[in-house]
Amino acid sequence: MSETIIKLLIAIVVAPFVGAVIAGLDRKVTARMQGRVGPPILQPIYDVLKLLIKQPIFLNRIQILYAFMHLAFMMLTLVLLILGQDMLLTLFVHAFATISLILGGMCVRSPYSRIGSQRKTLMLLAYEPILVIMVVGIYLSQGSFMASDVVATGAKPLLISLPLVFIAYMMAMAIELQKSPFDVASSHHAHQEIVKGVTLEYAGPFLAIIEIAHFYEVFLLFAVVYFFWAPYNLANAAVGIVLAAGAFLFHIVLDNTFARLPAMWIVRFMWVIVFLMATTNIIWLYRLGTI
Amino acid sequence: MNDLNTLALLGVIAGPVIFAAAIYFTKHTKLRNILVLAAALLTSSLGIFIAASPSADIYPGNWALYAGAGLEIAMTLAVLAIAYNIRSWAVGLFGTIQLVLVVISEFMHNESSLGPAFVVDDLSRIMVAIVSVVGSLILVYSIGYMKEHEHHAPAAARSTNTFMFFLVGFIGAMNGLVLANDMKWLGCFFEATTICSFVLIGHDRTREATKNAARAILINSFGGVALTIGAFLALLKGSTQYSGILYHADIIAFAFIALAGLVKSAQMPFQSWLLGAMVAPTPVSALLHSATMVNIGVYLVLRAAPAFAGTKLMYFIAIIGAFSFAATSALAIAQSNGKKVLAYSTIGNLGLIFTCAGIDSPLGYSAAIMLLCFHAVSKGLLFLCMGTIEQKIGSRDIEDMGSLLREMPLTTVITLIGMASMLVPPFGMLLSKWLAIEAAISSPIVLLLVVIGSALTVLFWAKWIGRITTVSYHPWYTIERISITKQSVLAILAAIVVIAGLGAILLYRDLFVDIAIRAYQGTYISQSDLKLFEAAGKIPYWPFMAFIGLALVAGILAYFTVNASNVRSPFLCGENVPGSTKTYEFRSAKDSSQLAWSSSLYLRHIFEESKTTMWANLIAAVIILSMFAAIGVL
Amino acid sequence: MSVLAKSPWVVHFNCNSCNGCDIEFLACLTPTYDVERFGVVHVGNPKHADILVVTGSVNHRNARVLANVYQQMPNPKVVVACGVCTSSGGIFADCYNVLGGVDKFIPVDVFVPGCPPRPEAMIDGIVKAVGILASKAKGIETPVADKPRITVSPSPKPVLETPAQEPDEVGAGK
Repeated sequence: MSETIIKLLIAIVVAPFVGAVIAGLDRKVTARMQGRVGPPILQPIYDVLKLLIKQPIFLNRIQILYAFMHLAFMMLTLVLLILGQDMLLTLFVHAFATISLILGGMCVRSPYSRIGSQRKTLMLLAYEPILVIMVVGIYLSQGSFMASDVVATGAKPLLISLPLVFIAYMMAMAIELQKSPFDVASSHHAHQEIVKGVTLEYAGPFLAIIEIAHFYEVFLLFAVVYFFWAPYNLANAAVGIVLAAGAFLFHIVLDNTFARLPAMWIVRFMWVIVFLMATTNIIWLYRLGTI
Repeated sequence: MNDLNTLALLGVIAGPVIFAAAIYFTKHTKLRNILVLAAALLTSSLGIFIAASPSADIYPGNWALYAGAGLEIAMTLAVLAIAYNIRSWAVGLFGTIQLVLVVISEFMHNESSLGPAFVVDDLSRIMVAIVSVVGSLILVYSIGYMKEHEHHAPAAARSTNTFMFFLVGFIGAMNGLVLANDMKWLGCFFEATTICSFVLIGHDRTREATKNAARAILINSFGGVALTIGAFLALLKGSTQYSGILYHADIIAFAFIALAGLVKSAQMPFQSWLLGAMVAPTPVSALLHSATMVNIGVYLVLRAAPAFAGTKLMYFIAIIGAFSFAATSALAIAQSNGKKVLAYSTIGNLGLIFTCAGIDSPLGYSAAIMLLCFHAVSKGLLFLCMGTIEQKIGSRDIEDMGSLLREMPLTTVITLIGMASMLVPPFGMLLSKWLAIEAAISSPIVLLLVVIGSALTVLFWAKWIGRITTVSYHPWYTIERISITKQSVLAILAAIVVIAGLGAILLYRDLFVDIAIRAYQGTYISQSDLKLFEAAGKIPYWPFMAFIGLALVAGILAYFTVNASNVRSPFLCGENVPGSTKTYEFRSAKDSSQLAWSSSLYLRHIFEESKTTMWANLIAAVIILSMFAAIGVL
Repeated sequence: MSVLAKSPWVVHFNCNSCNGCDIEFLACLTPTYDVERFGVVHVGNPKHADILVVTGSVNHRNARVLANVYQQMPNPKVVVACGVCTSSGGIFADCYNVLGGVDKFIPVDVFVPGCPPRPEAMIDGIVKAVGILASKAKGIETPVADKPRITVSPSPKPVLETPAQEPDEVGAGK
């Protein structure tokens, strides 16, 4: 019982702070790579606190409901994952969190917001099959869909049997983190273009809710990277964190070196090349495995 | 106890037919409406009674077998009459084949059969509950709907009395079909539903309606032929009943019955009849073409699934189901006609049920039944909402449904509930999709098709939900005025969807898992299947409820505490026209006012309907032929 | 509150500017000056912004656009008017279409003089604006800025010996 409470605390209270620090580190390292000084590491937290005290302007009331649903389902995703539940169900909950955000962008009469939502829908279409294949691969490798079985002491690390799936996940993660070249829907950095479309008509505290949900998502994405080397002992935990740090640096380099791809190119790239790569990995597992 | 059951059975099958006959001959509209209400009440109460009572096998006696044969011959003669009416040689051919086979089997029929003519077990109880409850609600809805429809209907349309006769009678036929075990009764009710569908689709008697009705009966009577061939082949091996086919594991007879099921459930390549059937009035679409009749195919396959576990036939059924799911999800994206989107979605979900049934494990079976129940209710609700919206705004196009939240707030909220039930965890449909993917893990091809299909479904639901919730700020909404029957039915169905959806996890753990265990008793189940099945039954319920509750409470609080002075216009680069009634009006060249408009995503350059349908039909036909080749028929 | 001072988000609007001030403003975002180290983020729409940086002299058409953009910003907000065009019209003050001076349409909190002002001057202006923002958040009334004393209006007449040329047909603005 107390273990559940600790896990819940981590998922609900600690995770957004860690996510915010990761996002802040992201901006700092990017700045240093570009020869700048960059904002303080806690800058995302200052941003959210500032947004909370701004005037709560809005366009219609249903977009507020969608913002809250986005946050609630993102929190639910993390809670389910940390409680060690079924990873496929967790994935669907996460997909619905993204759908809530998309709907929030669509429910206002703003052309930029709608276009941003449509592009985000295409991005969801691009990366969702990859994530499902990843979970299938985890099942084939571990024999169970439960996240608790992946971190159980004595389990096999996933990276050994799922290397191609890991690379595919890196691509899907780049889309979810809104990094170039996959940032046509909602760029992490290019605030001043139409591409910030989905959150365009949100302001003040409602934007703060979406930012907090983004922190949960960042924590979730890096937690899944950690999962690829997760069986519980100190050595493995260290390797897992190094893996997460490596993924972090990889995404920053990716972001700073590549130009943005058009939406349909991204969908084609993900469905043909990355999907094929992940499917190859799991077919090889099917042939080797016990199923 | 047995007598009570038999009486209830008789009531739920013959009752609607008797009411239908009475309705046909009434002269007054009010009397007709009362009769429809009474039929609805009777059917729903009897249906719930049968669903709640324990399983039973009904042996009505020899008269029932002769009556069944006689009725079946009568139905095939009716099909031939229709074939003459619409001058279709193909339907005439199909009807003749059926007549010949039925007459021959009458003479081959030797001793009295071994098993019960009607069976009330888990699966039929669920189906009776769905048909009776959802069907009765749709009957009540159709009272209000047809009253409005009569104003706009073309002059050549059939009378509402005829409409109600076939609609109410259909419910009796449907109940009979899911309770029947004897192949004669099965065939009789199968043909009866085909005939009802033909008449109801062609109700408006426009050129389009008659053409689509003819196509429906053409394809469905092909299914009837397949069913009759299957029954005949079974008779050659000595079984006159469906349970006999399962007992003898007569795979070739079952293959034909499965083909009949695939045709009835409008799977690829037979889907065109269901798409054409969307010209019918909405109660027809809701009742026949989403909630009940199209479930006949999955019902027939589900009933047989445990007996044929592990065979190649079931594997092929899973593949054709998964392929239909993927193909129709892709085709639905390119549609802007709301009813066609719902039709494609229905075919896709039925394909998913076939997949779950074809996977043939307890997990798949429980997923299939859960999908069946939740889909019938949700889709029925969505079709009824679609009909209400169409009658109010006069259009079926998704692009015309902006600002629906302001024009029809009650209907829009109910439509949102219906659409949310298709997408949101932990409602039943999403749970079933999750279970389906878990069950499909053992076959990679099926898995890939299901994954592709489920990724594509999000596109058209998100687009549609986004369009109907688009609205500018209004401090209050006026509830729209629609007839009391329509409003109450929508509200009741929405309540059922919400309650069943919130309790989906509990329903799964406590009801569907047990049904699957009972169905698979005695069949070999692999270790990994068993492990998956047990794990799926253990999902925690409280996190979902906690967070959905939090979101709703926060949203509702925000709804009531916002200040109207904080409302702003959308960002149009500062060119908003001040004081305009439309917030999306902007000043363009030469200071003229324009309205900002962005259409939704249709991806027509990728999923263009005729080309995609052609390729999908080709691949599906190849799969079906391979199915027959694999069991040695071809 | 101090948190507003730590995270001022800027939206930039060009009213009829020659783009000189805009280029200098964008230079602030480059590595040489790097305003992001103060938490400044250049956002794309007024709903996300705290500070409105305006450049250019205002004309008939974009006067109402400017007012609209200002109105779409949530409180507390400040306006920084960069360049001499924003206070008086600058060297374009005599033109037929120039209304001259942003403060005629929206309340300005900081004027940054220069044509164009150096990035350091703009950063100075933004920092001042952030201080005013913090006061506004506390609810302290802040006065609008006084216009700069030295302006360039009317523009000096050109010293030429050649006869005056026929003025071009000035089309009636529509």
